[in-house]
Amino acid sequence: MHPLDRLLRVILPLGGLAVLGMVVLVGWTTQPNRYVEGYAPEQPIPFSHKVHAGDNQIPCLYCHGGADKSRIAGVPSLELCMNCHQVTRTSTDNILNLTELYQSGQPIFWERVHNLPDHVFFDHRPHVKAGIACQVCHGEVEKMEVLRQSMSLRMGNCLDCHRNMHDYIRKAEYRKDVKPDLVGAENCFACHR
Amino acid sequence: MDDKRRGLQQGDAPIVAPERLWRSLSERAGEDAVREARGHEFVPGAALPMDSAGEGDAVSRRRFMALLSATAAFGAAGCSTPQDRGKMVPYTKQPPEVTPGIANYYASAFQEGTTVYPVLVKAREGRPIHLTGNDAHPHSQGKTTLRAQAEVLSLYDPDRLEDWREGGKPIKKDAAIAKLVAALSDGPARGSRALLMTGAVLSPTRRALIEELKGKAPHLVHVAFEPVADHAARAAASAAFGDGPALAPQLDRARVVLAVEADFMSTLPDSARLIRQFADRRRVRSKEDGMNRLYCIEGRMSLTGSNADHRLQLRPSRAAAFLFALAWELHEKHRLPLPYGVDSSVLSSFKLAAMVESEKLPAPVVEALAADLAGHRGQAVVLAGPVLPAAAHTAAALLNVMLEAEGRTLDACALVPLATPEELRALRADLEQGRYSVAIFWESDPVYALPDGADWKRALVQVPLCVAIGPLATETSQACSMVLAANHWLESWNDFESPGGVLTLQQPLIEPLYPDALMQGEEILLACLKALGAQRPGEYYEYLRERWQREVYPADSPAPFSAFWEAAVHDGFVQRPVAPVVRTFNGAAVAAAARDAGLGDPAHPTSSSSAHSGFELVLHPDARTWDGRYANNGWLQELPEPVSKEAWGNALALAPVDAERLEVADGDLVEISAGEAKLTVPTLVQPGQAPGVLSLALGLGKSLGSIAAGVGVNAFPLVAAESRSPYLRTGVSLTRTGGKKKIIRTQEHWALEGRDADIIGRPQTLVQYAHGDHEPHAHHDHPTLYPEHKPGAEKWGMAIDLSSCVGCSGCMIACQSENNIPTVGPEAVDRSREMHWIRIDRYYSGDPAAPEVVHQPMLCQHCDHAPCENVCPVAATTHSPDGLNQMIYNRCVGTRYCSNNCPYKVRRFNFFDYHLERVREPQEMVYNPEVTVRPRGVMEKCTFCVQRIADARMRAKAEERPVRDGEITPACAAACPAKAIVFGNLLDPESEVSRLSASDRGFKVLDFVGARPAITYLAHLSNPASPEDDHAS
Repeated sequence: MHPLDRLLRVILPLGGLAVLGMVVLVGWTTQPNRYVEGYAPEQPIPFSHKVHAGDNQIPCLYCHGGADKSRIAGVPSLELCMNCHQVTRTSTDNILNLTELYQSGQPIFWERVHNLPDHVFFDHRPHVKAGIACQVCHGEVEKMEVLRQSMSLRMGNCLDCHRNMHDYIRKAEYRKDVKPDLVGAENCFACHR
Repeated sequence: MDDKRRGLQQGDAPIVAPERLWRSLSERAGEDAVREARGHEFVPGAALPMDSAGEGDAVSRRRFMALLSATAAFGAAGCSTPQDRGKMVPYTKQPPEVTPGIANYYASAFQEGTTVYPVLVKAREGRPIHLTGNDAHPHSQGKTTLRAQAEVLSLYDPDRLEDWREGGKPIKKDAAIAKLVAALSDGPARGSRALLMTGAVLSPTRRALIEELKGKAPHLVHVAFEPVADHAARAAASAAFGDGPALAPQLDRARVVLAVEADFMSTLPDSARLIRQFADRRRVRSKEDGMNRLYCIEGRMSLTGSNADHRLQLRPSRAAAFLFALAWELHEKHRLPLPYGVDSSVLSSFKLAAMVESEKLPAPVVEALAADLAGHRGQAVVLAGPVLPAAAHTAAALLNVMLEAEGRTLDACALVPLATPEELRALRADLEQGRYSVAIFWESDPVYALPDGADWKRALVQVPLCVAIGPLATETSQACSMVLAANHWLESWNDFESPGGVLTLQQPLIEPLYPDALMQGEEILLACLKALGAQRPGEYYEYLRERWQREVYPADSPAPFSAFWEAAVHDGFVQRPVAPVVRTFNGAAVAAAARDAGLGDPAHPTSSSSAHSGFELVLHPDARTWDGRYANNGWLQELPEPVSKEAWGNALALAPVDAERLEVADGDLVEISAGEAKLTVPTLVQPGQAPGVLSLALGLGKSLGSIAAGVGVNAFPLVAAESRSPYLRTGVSLTRTGGKKKIIRTQEHWALEGRDADIIGRPQTLVQYAHGDHEPHAHHDHPTLYPEHKPGAEKWGMAIDLSSCVGCSGCMIACQSENNIPTVGPEAVDRSREMHWIRIDRYYSGDPAAPEVVHQPMLCQHCDHAPCENVCPVAATTHSPDGLNQMIYNRCVGTRYCSNNCPYKVRRFNFFDYHLERVREPQEMVYNPEVTVRPRGVMEKCTFCVQRIADARMRAKAEERPVRDGEITPACAAACPAKAIVFGNLLDPESEVSRLSASDRGFKVLDFVGARPAITYLAHLSNPASPEDDHAS
């Protein structure tokens, strides 16, 4: 075989394939949402949002009461859990665990699911105030036995909504009463400082 | 620029006219190195690793390989699994007042020497993170000193003691208390005494507790010791008024202030209140507004002197003679009556004219001073600094009586008992002779802070049981066998007596950091008291509350005590009725004081003919570390001293003419000899220092503490033991030792390039301003290539009144606390790596012997056409629709182009991971969670406290209203005692910042550059005496 022929027929296509394969491989492994979406770690107490928010229709703000008052929605204190569980389902293993922690004053170490980098200062207040349903970002939590991250929470997600808010919200099945003139901030200092 | 010295001139000629600004003597001399450095963004070597010598920036092949492999290793180590997002730990029982993410504010207070600072503590999730003055408290009105603000860092000091130790080994609390009680109770049997040494006791409850303990252990001797105290003033007051209260100046009621060696803006206690009151009488908003007038007479160049309308240089030993001469002049020429009993023949030998001649003072200024004081009876005050001898304080008291200051510009306040230097000397002798069986040092450090500290250390060996109580290890605790770790004041309960019948409460903001080991000092005493048989609650809180119920709660109050108490804790104070104070001036004291000072007697050592035989040394508390109690606070150590701009150290200031005569320059080591004391210190040539006067700050040169150890020199050995004016030494000699020590100064860092008027505007006098006969500030409206910003609803801006700003530097600490600004250490400051987002540029002009001074806060100007923005290759700094120049850390790659292109030199680069290298557990608890902690390699700068803007905006949004004017206060503006900084929306024509920005004194710094800054400066106004003054008042 003529050397040039071999180059054209074998090496070039193989080389091209290798380069393509590398691009695909690197792209797939480093894709932004790969580790993020669908992240559903096991929690120290298998708390079910489906039971609480879905079946029993407890409003989100009952437990995450900071969402309309503070930047941080907050994780409920054990005392809040015990408001109900002093009388409700007091005998299951998990509730007994919870009661013991509460009575001994021990904290509970939940696995963090939704996390933003340290240089991002997301504020729940204006979003709740604007009538954006929790499910827009957090997914259909009321159907989740185990809490799972459904949106990757990257800057693109924020800007998508801030730039084209109505389309985005309209798509959401959980749309509340969104005010028509609301526009999300699009400058850096709105979230980074 | 000798106009002030030549005297007053008629209306048209400018009294203040900067010829040429200079920041240092070498810059004034036009030295090549300084001129060269001005052209650079950073000093040479700024970008080199810390261990390199500064010249060779070539990296060897070996080093390159080492760095490469280290980089790779770090890179690999940084690849953690993205799955690990940490844990979330909710409260078990959430306190009802806490909402995570929302700050809570609590009123508290703390004591520094004989002063109470009421503060408002900002706490996030139970963690104090920021301190300001308590805005409801009558003495604070929202302002507090920089030292108080920095206390939040001291709370989390990693050097804090974590347990109780005896002989270096941990000891159980019960065992320690038992030992202490045994020593306290078996003392009398052996005929020995017990010593309890504390600082000044301002707390009535603490005082009651000590009295109770003394009742149970009658041989207990309580000594209140303050390293820096006004001994001379106390001696003078007791001679002139007998036993009476002390006086607190109220500068908001004074039109004429004469400060004699009294640095009330920086090194005197309660400086924030005094600056606030002083500035309130100086705020000019229209041409009709008046200003107060400040005369300073001093030898040392102090911050107050740098802000004076007239500053006269006088050796401190001559101050008494000058003040007596002034009193005689007021009596003889201005017909002010002398108080009853003052023998006019004693005073008549003091001639002001002779004083003017012998001390080479400018006669017109002295005449104007006399006329001003005489014309403002009841509206004038004479302040004498603690360094002055008692005779000068008597003279100042005489003047204040003649000026009817008492009750008007001076308010009575409780005199706190303190041990005199003689008593301390006698106490040491008793300790040496073994008359004490136990000595307790409760937050008291005589080994460091007394001139005979080394002798104290030896004396303590004679005491069988020495106990130190306090949060930090001290020189004294090292000499003690038992060291009991105690709470910081932010973890403690207490109450304090403040002037004017105000009782201030201190409440804890956090559980003790080491809850098993720490307790409040008072609780140790309570435990002893209980062990000695008294029925008392174990907690000091209960003790305090019970005493309040008994003695503070008004019997006729309609509210139950619990409501009264809760209201007091909420407000931080209660106002109680105060009995009027009657003081009678004892005229005979004047004769004694005049005789004491040997005035009029030419043979006396302090009279002018023989006084020039040596230097006079002024020892003053450091503006930052005070008497050494804050020496382990990195924020304070790194803060440049307001006048000398020296950070991380104290050098001996001397006058330029003396430096020339002795052929010493900055950093030359000299040996000072004052009596038997000798000390080797580096020198610092201070423009404006009076010839023949040296000054040195106390409170540095500690031997302990990871921050404090080895910084500066300890000047306490130079303090005169047993003297009633211990901080003034005469007949001091200086010899060069030949060595040199690097002085860390920031004065030549961050130079602005432009003509003087482009930098500080055109300073003018009040008369010139009122006449409007001054050249207006140039405004440039260059054509621009920048796109115009689309106006939104808001454009944030700031107005800074240079006339109000005194340069106290409180804003710098507030900013450091609010914005998580790291300290970098002395070597890095020397390489111009300091990270302060706001700095105070101090400009001199005129003759180095008597320069004019202007202080200018400099921070990011948030330019409309920001030169930094368009040079960033990665768009990490951009413009926001509300006019902010945004700096986005996660986008920054560290090219430093922006800093190079910034005409104001306000951008700071993280050369290292200071937050990893210089912060030890638990210090990260001081971080503001609303601000990113910046890593290595990114640029940062002032954000106008965007987190506060965002928070106010969110609150406004929740209430469906626009942000109100004054709702947003950046940390610097909130801290500024002079209220020189005003922030707000420039698009709202009614906002205060808009009105100020439109002022005819307003100018933009470096306006010709065309950057269109959002900060308007108001040119400096001074109020020197002028022939047009109306002395009729």
